[in-house]
Amino acid sequence: MAIDTGILINVGFYVSFSIVFAMLALGFNLQWGYTGLFNAGIAGFFLIGAYTATIAITPPTPPSNGYPGHLGGYELPIAAGAILAMLVSGLAAIAIALPTLRLRADYLAIATLAFAEVVRTVAINLEPVTAGTIGIVSIPRLFTFSGTNAALFTTGTVVGVGAVIILVLFVVLHFILESPWGRVLRAVREDEEATMAVGKNTFWFKLQVFAIGGALMGLAGWFFVMALPYLEPTGDFAPAVTFSIWVMVIVGGAGNLKGSIAGAFLVYGLEWSSVQLKDFAPDALSPSIPYIRLMIVGALLIVLIIYRPEGILREKKRVLR
Amino acid sequence: MAISHEPESLSAWTAARRGRGLFHLTRRTRRQLLRGGVACLAFVGLNALLAALFGVNILNYTIAGLSVSSIVIVAAIGLTLIYGIRGFANFAHGDIMALGAYVALFVNLNGLSLIWGTIAAFAVLALFGILFEVVIFSRLEGRGPVPPIVASVGLGLIIQNGIRTLATTRPWLYPVPAYSDIPIAPGLGVNPIRHILTPAIGLLFVVSAHVLLTYTNLGKAMRATADNLELAKATGIDTKRVTYATWAISCSFASTAGILLGLTSFLQPEMGLNILLLIFAAVIVGGIGSPWGAVLGGLVIGLSQEMSAPLFIWLGQPDVIGLVNASAYKVAIPFIILIVVLILRPWGIAGRPPAFVSRVYFVERITRAILSGTTKAEQTDGNDGG
Amino acid sequence: MNASAGTPPILSVQRVRKSFGGIRAVDDCSLSINAQSITGLIGPNGAGKSTLFNIIAGLYRPDAGAIWLAGRRIDGLPPYEIVHRGLTKTWQIPHELRNLTVLENLLLGAKRNSGEHLLNVLLQWAAVRSDEKQWRARAREVLRLTELDGLANEHAKALSGGQKKLLELARALMTDPAIVLLDEPVAGVNPRLAGNLMDLIERLRRGGRTFFLIEHDMNVVMNRCDRVIVMHQGNAIAEGTPASVKANPLVIESYLGG
Repeated sequence: MAIDTGILINVGFYVSFSIVFAMLALGFNLQWGYTGLFNAGIAGFFLIGAYTATIAITPPTPPSNGYPGHLGGYELPIAAGAILAMLVSGLAAIAIALPTLRLRADYLAIATLAFAEVVRTVAINLEPVTAGTIGIVSIPRLFTFSGTNAALFTTGTVVGVGAVIILVLFVVLHFILESPWGRVLRAVREDEEATMAVGKNTFWFKLQVFAIGGALMGLAGWFFVMALPYLEPTGDFAPAVTFSIWVMVIVGGAGNLKGSIAGAFLVYGLEWSSVQLKDFAPDALSPSIPYIRLMIVGALLIVLIIYRPEGILREKKRVLR
Repeated sequence: MAISHEPESLSAWTAARRGRGLFHLTRRTRRQLLRGGVACLAFVGLNALLAALFGVNILNYTIAGLSVSSIVIVAAIGLTLIYGIRGFANFAHGDIMALGAYVALFVNLNGLSLIWGTIAAFAVLALFGILFEVVIFSRLEGRGPVPPIVASVGLGLIIQNGIRTLATTRPWLYPVPAYSDIPIAPGLGVNPIRHILTPAIGLLFVVSAHVLLTYTNLGKAMRATADNLELAKATGIDTKRVTYATWAISCSFASTAGILLGLTSFLQPEMGLNILLLIFAAVIVGGIGSPWGAVLGGLVIGLSQEMSAPLFIWLGQPDVIGLVNASAYKVAIPFIILIVVLILRPWGIAGRPPAFVSRVYFVERITRAILSGTTKAEQTDGNDGG
Repeated sequence: MNASAGTPPILSVQRVRKSFGGIRAVDDCSLSINAQSITGLIGPNGAGKSTLFNIIAGLYRPDAGAIWLAGRRIDGLPPYEIVHRGLTKTWQIPHELRNLTVLENLLLGAKRNSGEHLLNVLLQWAAVRSDEKQWRARAREVLRLTELDGLANEHAKALSGGQKKLLELARALMTDPAIVLLDEPVAGVNPRLAGNLMDLIERLRRGGRTFFLIEHDMNVVMNRCDRVIVMHQGNAIAEGTPASVKANPLVIESYLGG
């Protein structure tokens, strides 16, 4: 049966990366949509997770001809890579949060943006550890296959694992956000001073949220290298990624978990389809298509924030019995 | 020139200044000048010490720092004015700088000299600034600090990718001859464009800004509006016109800074985003809303970045740490300073601590609670640098 | 400044000072509140009353002085700790949590809700559910007390001004406070509702709670308070029964002159 596996693999990539962004979006939604913490350093936690996982699971790679080598050689199981990624990103989130959570929203944004850029600068330049801009290749995959349909099965398994993870994340997050704990978060978002005055240690709650969000972004970093076994710091961890996540969460609706996942698929779908369109567009236009797409994203951000800041899908009213 | 935080009414404030000659210095200004003088002397002393210890060519870094500072200062003045009047961090400011640089390039490539390009960019960006306010930011008034940030990010995306679409991603250079360094001491060279022209233009803009804000009616109206919007409206200032003027000035300053940046390095679509954090750092370190703070902050940021390079290079030597790509880490220094300032003194050098230093720096909440229905003694200036 | 026979005051403010940018909002202020009393705090605008309340509640740190609650010092403690120790403050302008329902607003006041700890949510779900059920029952009681029961599932932003004031009080009551600081509890509330509210406060006082309220409505102050304290320019200048305070020449001068 001659299925065009190429198309399937392509779609598989779309789904995998959408899941990566969905994880990032869930983490950010938890921080901003539910608790009002405006994190502009999403890319930083994403990067930390990706590199932690990679360093943990790759075989030893000493410097060789023209290749700076990178830290590694622990060859831990892939699941351990995921857990370490979450742990290290979560700890980084706590480290950043302790001094900055008490800042008001715009200062927090600038501080986290600065953090993400510092992290990215380090990743670019600390070549003995990260192999710099040349990047790390041949990252171990979740499952390896051989034979004619190896690529298809590889992508398929990545999608499968990703789908399971996203489902589990959604269920767990939904559960904890509907609990009294989640209620305090929403109260902090509404009016932090009033919540303090009613007897809640709001700083502690914000810290927990920032850590969990950071850990989720770290997990996204792990899944990113599962989807694409090549890691380099310049393009995929630039501030533009952070801004894309903002769009996804705003589109999907602050405080709406399903919306974040949908927003991720939608907005990344724009990017993916623009890349597909490139082949069909007239030559003069085609190199500009990614940029035109980004301009549309920018315009979307502006229009949404002016006219529909709560997002396209609304947060539901909670009726308690 | 710092945006005043004395919570008096505008008429009282102008009355206090009435009858003062051009060069009368208030006690506060005298104190500030004294502090500034001491800081300058200390800085010169530091450089003398460094030169004595490591040789004259270490001053190359200081000179480079002054050049970077000049660019940052011009951009930071623009950013801080908008921050003070509209109350949000304009994340598109870097891309506005890039836009100015590319407009000048366009003019230049079409036959006119770069000077005309600069003037054209100045005017065009001023108009754009007003356009941004009319189309986007006026609709976000009163919605807090986050929505305008999000909108400015969208705007930056549009500008940056518009540039990519029209001018491609290849790096451009201004067709200006490459002047060689003028040696002023063995090992110490001064580049006419980077180290003479750039600081000169920077100084020109700083002085112009000072004159504008201190001695013109528009400038006074801008300061009053940034200080307290409601009060300014109540005393009859056309705050809409003032806001447009501020946007125009902010964007035209940004355009000139962008041209300087293009002159001292090269033009690429990301050039604005790359320098944006430096400018934020300068504004915050210096104190939001304060143009002189922007000058101080710009100096701190530019000088600290460049003067840390030799330290990193030393660390990069194989017998110390062997840090690879050592000098590239210098860009981390301004960010670290920014984070430290945000933690310890968020209102910056020239700002005043918010009157209500409550547990949570949620200035908006407090101002809202206070300004609706209480009186003078319990009222404070909520629009301060915090 | 004298406590009633033998019992120490439940709240004692000693020489508290607070300045904002050169303005002395609270200037060497001392006062004390007896348990199970309804004490009024009056004074011309700008006297520093709300600021004092914010300091007592822990939202601002005093520059100097000490504050004692039931014999233990509370100045410098964070607000949530002070609420825990039995002192809750309401806001002059209601700080209702707009996009939460009335019931959720109240539930937030629950002092020991195991569901607010993440580990419990994940591992002790049965305990969380039973705690939540208990607190919901309590919340409904409080809603009945404050006549808000029909509005349990309305978003707080849909409430009228007077209802928001009631919500403030209800939410404070949920924290089971020994003493409640009320900042203008009946300002802007219609007289019938105001009367009901003050009746409720009287009932709660008989049940053991203490109330300390800032009010401008002289009716309320004169008829409902046991004692009245007068503040002027950051200082407590007079105190005593409503009648004696009304006749005090210092007080009259502060209102006329200040």
